[in-house]
Amino acid sequence: MTAQEICLCGLLLREHFGEVVEKVGTHLLRSGAQNLRTIVHETNLSVDLVKKCLCVLVQHGACSFTVGRKGPGSPTEYHACGERILRVLRYPRYIYTAKTLYGDTGELIIEELLQRGHVTMSSTVKTVADRLTQNMEEGQSLDYSEVSSTFSKLVETHFLQRCPPVGAAGTSGGAAPAEAPATPAAPAAAASTAPLTAESFPECYTLPQVTLTGRGKRQLVPEDGEDQRNAKRAKMTSESHGDEGIYWQVNFERFHQYFRDQAIISAVANKLDQTSSEIVRTILRMSEVTTSPTATCTKPLSTNEIFRSLPASYNIPRHILDQYLTLLVDDPMEFVGKAGESGGGMFVVNLHKALANLARATLESIVQERFGSRSARIFRLLLRKRHLEQKQVEDFAMIPAKEAKDMLYTLLSHNLVQLQEIPKTPDFAPSRTFYLYTVNQLPTARMLLQNCYKLLICDQCFSCRPWPTS
Amino acid sequence: MAGRGRRTMSFSVDSVGISRGETLPPAVQQPTPVFPVMEQKPLPLTGGEEAEYLTALKQDFRGAMRGLPCFIQPAAAHRDVERYSDKYHLSEKKDGLTDWIIGERSNLSISEQSNQNTHQRFPCRPTGGALPRQQTLHRLHMAGGRVTLEKKEEQESSEEEGEEKKKQKEEEAEAEEEYDEEEFEEETDYIMSYFDNGEDFGGDSDDNMDEAIY
Repeated sequence: MTAQEICLCGLLLREHFGEVVEKVGTHLLRSGAQNLRTIVHETNLSVDLVKKCLCVLVQHGACSFTVGRKGPGSPTEYHACGERILRVLRYPRYIYTAKTLYGDTGELIIEELLQRGHVTMSSTVKTVADRLTQNMEEGQSLDYSEVSSTFSKLVETHFLQRCPPVGAAGTSGGAAPAEAPATPAAPAAAASTAPLTAESFPECYTLPQVTLTGRGKRQLVPEDGEDQRNAKRAKMTSESHGDEGIYWQVNFERFHQYFRDQAIISAVANKLDQTSSEIVRTILRMSEVTTSPTATCTKPLSTNEIFRSLPASYNIPRHILDQYLTLLVDDPMEFVGKAGESGGGMFVVNLHKALANLARATLESIVQERFGSRSARIFRLLLRKRHLEQKQVEDFAMIPAKEAKDMLYTLLSHNLVQLQEIPKTPDFAPSRTFYLYTVNQLPTARMLLQNCYKLLICDQCFSCRPWPTS
Repeated sequence: MAGRGRRTMSFSVDSVGISRGETLPPAVQQPTPVFPVMEQKPLPLTGGEEAEYLTALKQDFRGAMRGLPCFIQPAAAHRDVERYSDKYHLSEKKDGLTDWIIGERSNLSISEQSNQNTHQRFPCRPTGGALPRQQTLHRLHMAGGRVTLEKKEEQESSEEEGEEKKKQKEEEAEAEEEYDEEEFEEETDYIMSYFDNGEDFGGDSDDNMDEAIY
């Protein structure tokens, strides 16, 4: 992790969990896996505080623990996951997505789970029902069954998953069923060194049998005197709902898949039109379950299937659909590709290519907004032609030599464009070397991402102080 | 530079792009300004309903996190001298984060998950030395999300307790998670205010007292 990412993680931990957790978290991020004693010693905190911080981090999935390096018997080592901490930046988006898909109930369920990390289903349902009842009118309350049904819908669509059991890491590796998990199950004898992801647990989307009846309770408005004593004496009945020990967490990967799909659909809508985006949305919806999250493209679908699955409001005739699909295939952004001719034509959505093209378009727009449209023209030229000499840049971009040179050097000084030397002689003599300008997409994108992190750090640091108004 | 006496430069002038006789840009005399003027002004932020809602969600989320048990407060700052009464003063609020952290040493931990209706008996301390008193009973009640502790005293100080219980009931509802300061954690016969070291006394007088106080 870069220094900016670690600094940003620290700030996020401070905002959400306090300064003590920030100290422990950043220490773990900087030093890698460490055991408890070393952490206590190097952070100068008390053992209790460090234990609490580690518990908080583990509960929220930001820290994992494994058997020590020296084998079984050595103290457990804790390892912080910076990427997971950076996901905190996306929490509002996750909550908003749940709201658009499942309404207020879904929104509150996701918010509750994000706040607490790992929660049982029964406590989530109760808390959410109480919160929703608070906002309803006097005398109305929300039944637990409504919240439970929304919870089950979230689990069915894989937005929520069960936390993998802690003890399963070592001993029950052999007991895992025949369906091959994503990570190879370690031999049952040795302690597992491969981290057990939630996906590799076969029941991660199974709802437990939960008996949950009741309605949301409205919190009493505190008044002096009798109400207080009555409230104090009311005892919460201790019920067990049959799901003790079964904890749920938010499945971030599923949300990321959803965001990816939304990005592609909205890009198609912006570039082409609404109907094309509906067609792409249909293809993506049909391929949700058949495509793995890391696939390059979706499974091929025939025109017949797409035609049958289009939403009822879009009753376009068959030949129009064919024309739309042809247009999509011919588009230079390569969102949709043709994979064969059977069934009227087999079509796929090129996920990786679409995302790469979207990233490229973002880079181009950044250059355009910062340096002007002529610099953007040079940048696009270099992206398309890969390597060009200075003279060729001036010719192809049709910009006068002096200005082209100036712009090229500005882009070079901002590291958006790189210089590649091709020597004619082994001594790299400058008069006998070709100097070619080029753009490397991936490192440039990473650099801009780091700039964004820097921006967030500055924003966090200044958000606690008011801007000086002059 | 190599080639003292020879006036050729190591690189060819043409390849860098400066032709002969062209004026070079003026030499820079001072460091570049900290905030240079931007030729292109940045685009305004994309506002709109969704962005505002997301911002509101973010603020709410951060505010809510501060009230949860996973927001760990740093240990209270130590005073200049360690005092005997520090042991009996209110320490940081203890609440079990999850089922795992229950029962840290002799400190009482309150778990939201463990809704215990029945009376539970906990020994206050491991009986290291022979204690002549009875062991105290603890009862945990959940009242509207607030946890109250009521301990039963021995009969010797039951009268004192009677008065204190009335005071407690008035005070308890104010605090979020109660921790009765009038009650004791250790086995002392004195109420907590016995251990006040008088530092808070007498600082509230705002009257303009010109006369000296004898």
